[in-house]
Amino acid sequence: MADVTSIEHPTLKVPYDVLNKKFRLAQKTLDREVCHVTTAVSELERVLFTDSRSASHISSLLGGVVEKLANFKRKAEEATQDETECGRVVKRRVDHLKEHDSLSPAVVAEWKRTRLDRLLVEYLLRAGCYSTATKLASARGIEGLTNLDVFLVAREVEQSLACRDTTKCLSWCHDNRSKLRKLNSSLEFNVRMQEFIELIKNDRRMDAIKHARKYFTGQDQSHLPSIQRCMALIAFPAGTDVSPYKELLSDMRWEKLVEQFRAENLKLYQLSSQSAFSVVVQAGLSALKTPHCYRGASGHNPDCPVCQPSLNALAEPLPFAHCSQSRLVCYISGEQLNENNQPLMLPNGHVYGQKALQQMADENNGSIVCPRTRQSFNIRDAEKVFVM
Amino acid sequence: MDACTAVGREIDKVLTKFTSYSDHASTTIASLRSNIESLKVEIDQVGSGDITEAQAVILSQALGRVKEAVTRLSTEHRDLHSSVSKVGKAIDKNFTADFGCISNDSVFSGKKHHLINEVICQHFFREGLLDIAEEHIKETNLSLQEESREPFFELNRILAALKERNLAPALQWAEENRDKLISQRSTLEFKLHRLAYINLLSQGPSRVPEAIDYARHNFTPFVFQHEKVIQSLMGCLLYVKGGLINSPYADLLSCDQWTEICDVFTRDACALLGLSVDSSLAVCVNAGCTALPILLNIKQVMQQRQVPNIWNTKEELPIEIDLGPSSRYHSIFACPILRQQSTENNPPMRLICGHVISRDALNKLTTSAKLKCPYCPVEQNPQDAIQISF
Repeated sequence: MADVTSIEHPTLKVPYDVLNKKFRLAQKTLDREVCHVTTAVSELERVLFTDSRSASHISSLLGGVVEKLANFKRKAEEATQDETECGRVVKRRVDHLKEHDSLSPAVVAEWKRTRLDRLLVEYLLRAGCYSTATKLASARGIEGLTNLDVFLVAREVEQSLACRDTTKCLSWCHDNRSKLRKLNSSLEFNVRMQEFIELIKNDRRMDAIKHARKYFTGQDQSHLPSIQRCMALIAFPAGTDVSPYKELLSDMRWEKLVEQFRAENLKLYQLSSQSAFSVVVQAGLSALKTPHCYRGASGHNPDCPVCQPSLNALAEPLPFAHCSQSRLVCYISGEQLNENNQPLMLPNGHVYGQKALQQMADENNGSIVCPRTRQSFNIRDAEKVFVM
Repeated sequence: MDACTAVGREIDKVLTKFTSYSDHASTTIASLRSNIESLKVEIDQVGSGDITEAQAVILSQALGRVKEAVTRLSTEHRDLHSSVSKVGKAIDKNFTADFGCISNDSVFSGKKHHLINEVICQHFFREGLLDIAEEHIKETNLSLQEESREPFFELNRILAALKERNLAPALQWAEENRDKLISQRSTLEFKLHRLAYINLLSQGPSRVPEAIDYARHNFTPFVFQHEKVIQSLMGCLLYVKGGLINSPYADLLSCDQWTEICDVFTRDACALLGLSVDSSLAVCVNAGCTALPILLNIKQVMQQRQVPNIWNTKEELPIEIDLGPSSRYHSIFACPILRQQSTENNPPMRLICGHVISRDALNKLTTSAKLKCPYCPVEQNPQDAIQISF
């Protein structure tokens, strides 16, 4: 259970944020419609208490009220429909997470498989492998359980930024203005600055000044140094070698914008800066890592994940597992060594499980061959070892 | 399960409130509308003249109701917000928002990035998701060696055939690798033949001669190892006419045989190819999911006690994480005296009484060339202890 509460926060929080956003949107729509209805009503009321109460005029005004009411009804239904839909997404995910505690091992195993797929999808999305992520999600039928939509919106913005188009990013900033302001985001300012720089690059300096007047004046005090540097750019040719103006003109800034956008998007949904996948893989590697995994081929166990070459290299900077109690497994069979399968020491100092040695002895008239040194012994020479 | 239940309860509340609000809103508006419409019909009957004072009063009352009702609807919707935000609070309260604090950014970034992509790709191959693996390779510009995918193609092909109850590819593979399979004491080939034989019998008495022929050809090499099983397989011939399903041999037909053969095949083939039975990534992620809550906990405790820098030593995790017996791949000897893992410089030593302690402990316990075992009364010369390896 603890593992669900530790890593599934984004699984629920993101759809909740979507729900909350939808709710606010619905409230806005409703307020607007209420306003329409009350204006229509007030207009009619004004006419009612004047001297010219022509029936036809009042009838047409009443028609207006009816129409507004019909609109109100339609909008309200649409809005609540949307909200309920978003609520159901949260509900479905909660129900899925509940399956983790199922009593049937098959269900739990399947759940764990799905969890790995979900983690992978999220990691791939963060890494920018959108098409792999989408394919994986649809192959496993887990689109509803992952935050695919959030990232696909981000993908569009990223792609447009990569094509030097700021409109999508700016409209995204507009959609999320209040939250971005809370986060103290400088994304919009940076985009505006980039637009200014592009104007300079194209030698449209007058337009650049106009642009600056329009967008830079309302900015926060903290942006002042950047604005000043930007304005100084007007004095330089587009191909200048003078630092820091050369850097301002460089194309690297677009990539920085994409990166900043990615980070802001994650913050917006309160997603951690690292994917759950990489955190979990790190924790897992650490928990499995033993000094044996780094002692050359003789210590390797093909079933041990940390002994796989790629994971082995990845785990290198991570801490080893802590172990205060001996945990012994038989080198031959991989079975645990305990009172049912006692450890036996051959005269050369190598220890193996009783079961494996006995089987080997039964097949070879009591003689056993040490699999590590190829020396052969008699089973009677194996001595018991007591490990506390 | 409390965490999920708590969030589930809140979201259920929100959903019922949305539904009842939506019903309530549509009925209210519909009744308002029909009211206004009927008034409109009344006024339309007046024709071109003015309406009366009484009609004006009735109208203004009706309009007042409309105004009040729509404003109330909007307020009611606004009141739902408290329920909605309770969901968010329940999520924040029951789930850990920031799990990133226990990991190190730099581990997977930079040059290591292609390593993790490689691992993911191998995982896809392993799971038989070939097209997804290809897509991933394309998107990440991964250069994967051809031989690292080859075995998976074949394994997945044979497994897919087995799942469709087609034994031919698996039998062919087992024959090609017979020597290696025998050396690892695998019973795969015999089990495959056995299934093929049962398959023939299950198709009715007409195929009995064929089945006997098959048994003659294929069972003979296995007689020494599997005598009992072959006897029972031949015994079931008695019942073929009456239908095996009603005989003491009915269990031969069970579906479990097929799931079992898939498992046996995966295990033996992986062992033969030197691959792990489960996907390494899956094992690793499951281990991580067990370890993460424990690590988050200890991290919090360490922060509260203001223990400095333990995390940064980066040599060992600060706490033991038990992943269960199935996830133990290497023997670890922890000296029972010093409570430390053995190392190259401090290997385990077996005393002549059979008890094992680390060499450092042995040196510490030795007094004037004599050592008393800490676990039994035996006194001995420390020189007699033997270095062992597990």
